[in-house]
Amino acid sequence: MPGDEIIRVDHVSKGFLVPSVRRDTVREHVLGLLTPRRLDPLRVLNRVSFSVRRGESLAIVGRNGCGKSTLLRVLCGIYRPDSGSVATSAGITPILELGVGWNHELDAIDNVQLMGTALGLSLGAVNRRLDSILEFAELERFARQKLKHYSTGMAARLAYAVAFSAVREVLVLDEIFAVGDARFRARCENRYRELQQAGHTIIIVSHDARVVGQFCNRALLLEQGELIHVGDPDAVLASYRTVLDRSPETAEEIANAR
Amino acid sequence: MTTATNTSTPAPSTDPAWAGLVWTLVRTDFKARYHGTGSGFLWALLKPTAMFVVLVAVFSLIFRSEPNYKLKLIIGLFLWDYFADSTKAGLASMSSKSFLITRARLPTWILVVTSLANAIVTLTVFASIVVAYLLATGAFPGLPALIAFGGYLAALVTITVGISLGASVLFLRYRDLNQVWDMAMQAGFFVSPIIYPLSVVPERFHFWLFFWPPTPVIEFTRAALLGPTLPTTTANVYLGLLSTGILIAGAMVYRRFGPRAAEYL
Repeated sequence: MPGDEIIRVDHVSKGFLVPSVRRDTVREHVLGLLTPRRLDPLRVLNRVSFSVRRGESLAIVGRNGCGKSTLLRVLCGIYRPDSGSVATSAGITPILELGVGWNHELDAIDNVQLMGTALGLSLGAVNRRLDSILEFAELERFARQKLKHYSTGMAARLAYAVAFSAVREVLVLDEIFAVGDARFRARCENRYRELQQAGHTIIIVSHDARVVGQFCNRALLLEQGELIHVGDPDAVLASYRTVLDRSPETAEEIANAR
Repeated sequence: MTTATNTSTPAPSTDPAWAGLVWTLVRTDFKARYHGTGSGFLWALLKPTAMFVVLVAVFSLIFRSEPNYKLKLIIGLFLWDYFADSTKAGLASMSSKSFLITRARLPTWILVVTSLANAIVTLTVFASIVVAYLLATGAFPGLPALIAFGGYLAALVTITVGISLGASVLFLRYRDLNQVWDMAMQAGFFVSPIIYPLSVVPERFHFWLFFWPPTPVIEFTRAALLGPTLPTTTANVYLGLLSTGILIAGAMVYRRFGPRAAEYL
C-alpha cells in the first residue's frame, strides 16, 4: 500500500442469497424437505474498488438500497466480502445503526464499558473517558438509569458520545448528524471538525447535501451496487441529483439532495 | 477464483483491549442475572439444592440399597445443572449480544466463552463445597482422586464450550434451535444416570449411554470421589477424546458459520 493510503477496497462484491421462501427454524427446514426452494442471489455490491487516503473525509452517497450500509459494514470488517479484498492499515471505529443496540437491562455506565471495550478500547481508557462521554451526551444525571428507561434520542446521543471518544485512526459514520436537537448536532459537528483537524480519516454515509458539501473533501456515488462516480463532492452531488431525477424517488430524498 | 481477505490491525488475542471486554462481559452478565447482588448468586446454588431435596424425598426410598445414594444424587444434579445452564447460555450468547456483533468488529467467540462464566463460577463453588464436605466427614478420597475430579470438571467445561460454539452460530440460522435444545435437555436429564443408579439399566445399553457426554462425567466423578475404585485409564482416555472431539466439532461449525454471523442478525 502506498504511504498515504489507509484503506484499499479492491473489486469487492457482496451478495446475499434471498430464498424464495424464508426458513428460519428447524421445524420449517424439516417440513420443507419435501418442497425445494429457490435461492435468488441479490447482488448488493458489484466489483467496487477505491482507496481512502490518510486524513481525508470521504462521503458515500447514493439512493436508498444502493449498498451504502453494506459497503460500510464490509469496510469495518463486520461483513466478509464474497470476492475482492479490503486492506486496512489502521484501526477503524464504526458508528452504525444509531439508537439501537444497547443492553436495556444495564445502566449507562455498564453499557458504555461494554460498547467501549467492544470498539477496542481498554477498560482503563473507557473509565478515564467516562465523565467526558456522559457530559458529551448530557446524561450525567441518568448515568445509573437502566437503558430501558432512556428515550430513543438519549440512547442515540450516548452512542455518538461513546464512538466519538473511542475513535481510533479511522471513523466510519452512518447517517451522521441525524439525531438529537440542534444543540447536540452542533456539538457533534464541532467534535467532527476537531477529529478532522487532528488528522483522523473519516468516512460518512449521508443523504444530506449540506453535510457532504461542508464536511467532506471527496465523495463517491453508489448506484445499484456499483461505483459510478468518485471525485469532488460538488461534482458527485450533481451526478447524484441526476440519478435521482432519472428514477421515481421520494420527494424527501430529492429535497435532501438539493 | 475468488479471494476474500480482510487484513487488519492487531491480532485480537494479543490486543489488551479484549481483556477489558472479557471482564466487562462477565461482570455485566453476572449483574444482569443476579441483579447486582452477591446474595442473588445464592439462587444459582439453591436451584439444584431444592431439586435435590424433592428427589431425595422420593427416590432415596426406592434406591435404598444403593450406597451413598444422596451424595451421588447431588453430585449428578450439580454436574447436570452446570451442563444444562451453560449450554443454554452458550446457545443464546451470540443472539443476545447481537447489538455488539452488528456494531463492532470483535472476535465473537469471546462472547460465547464468557457467557459460560456464570455457570463455571457456580460449578467451582459446588466443587469446593463437595470437597470440604468429604474432608469434614473424614471421607477424603485422596489426592489422585481430587486430581481426577479436577480433570472431569475440565472435560465437562470443554464439552460445554464445544457445544456452545457450534450451537451459538447455528441458533442465528435456526431460530427454534433453543426449543429443540430444551427438549434434548429434558430427555437428556433422564438419559443421564442422575436420579437412578446406572446399575438399574441392563448392561447391554451401558455402552450407548456413555455416548451422551454428561453420563461419563457424572459416573467417573462419582467413582473418583466416592469409590470404590478410580476410573480406569481407558475410561479417562475415552472422556479426554470425547471432550476434545466435541470441542473440535463445535469449533469447526463456528469457523464455518461464525464469520457470517452478523448477516443473520
